[in-house]
Amino acid sequence: MKADAVRGHLDAMLPAVLEPGPLHGYAVITAVQRRSAGALELRTGTVYPALNRLERLGLLRSRRQPVSDRPRRCHELTEAGRRDLAGARSTWREFTAAIDAVLDPTASARRAT
Amino acid sequence: MSTAPRADPVEDYLATLTTSLHGPARAKAAMMREVRDGLVDAVEAQTRFGVPRAQAAHRAVLDFGTADELAPSFQRELTIAQTRRTARVAAVTVPVLVVCRFMVHVVARDPDWRLGALAVHLAAVATASGLLAVTALVATGPLTRLLPTPHRLPSAVAWTASAAAVGMALAAVALGVTSALSTDWPLTAFAGVLAIAAHGVVAASARECRRCVRAGAGCR
Repeated sequence: MKADAVRGHLDAMLPAVLEPGPLHGYAVITAVQRRSAGALELRTGTVYPALNRLERLGLLRSRRQPVSDRPRRCHELTEAGRRDLAGARSTWREFTAAIDAVLDPTASARRAT
Repeated sequence: MSTAPRADPVEDYLATLTTSLHGPARAKAAMMREVRDGLVDAVEAQTRFGVPRAQAAHRAVLDFGTADELAPSFQRELTIAQTRRTARVAAVTVPVLVVCRFMVHVVARDPDWRLGALAVHLAAVATASGLLAVTALVATGPLTRLLPTPHRLPSAVAWTASAAAVGMALAAVALGVTSALSTDWPLTAFAGVLAIAAHGVVAASARECRRCVRAGAGCR
């Protein structure tokens, strides 16, 4: 997937990789790449302002803490972030189901029966 | 014959990005520190697989995206941080202006229209500063998750704060002249000093906010 298309989904993907626990910026990037098996082309620099924005929205919080003997800014989900992620997941499932139904009507009819 | 040392692509990149960004020093430093940490991590991750350091640094910078490509997103965050800072500064100066207005009101027991006009001017500046502060802080704070931050808000805050700073400077001059003519001069002189101090703080923050807005426009 092209970098521009991926960029529009960062607001849901970044909280998703932070769901298990706090991560620093580079670990967030590698988590996205690992989960997508390298299929997503991601300009790694786009992640940092996105993390800042999500923190400003109150969906993440961050603090500096030592990771591998180096102080890093680690990000974690807030309660509002967890609620927002649940909403984003359900919206995404509804969206992909609707698109699936349009692209492949026979498969979606089979699933319905 | 001496050869010039080869530049580090990571340091070059950080220098380019840092130069193109404007905003609150602490927020910008924290942002750049995190970017540096990320680039250093990316270089280390590749050198662990045997990639030479220079090549790993070059690749890390390439994967990161060009400074021109990324500066608008970083600048947007810094502009909002500076907008909030300017709004907070304006909020803090409102009580100062109210004190100034109160002092003028105390001095203006005699029916001097000039002092009355000064009191009205101070009240108007205090009201504008207060409205600006509340609007900006709410729009970039609790409302952000519900409504997108208006694109022109930082510019509106920068210019309203600039106007408030000019109003404070005029008030300071008027209070200075009044204190020279008034019998209660210590009160008006004190109010004048408060107005000068408020002007200094608001003008500096508004100037930085205008710089952020210009940098954001230049990034687009």
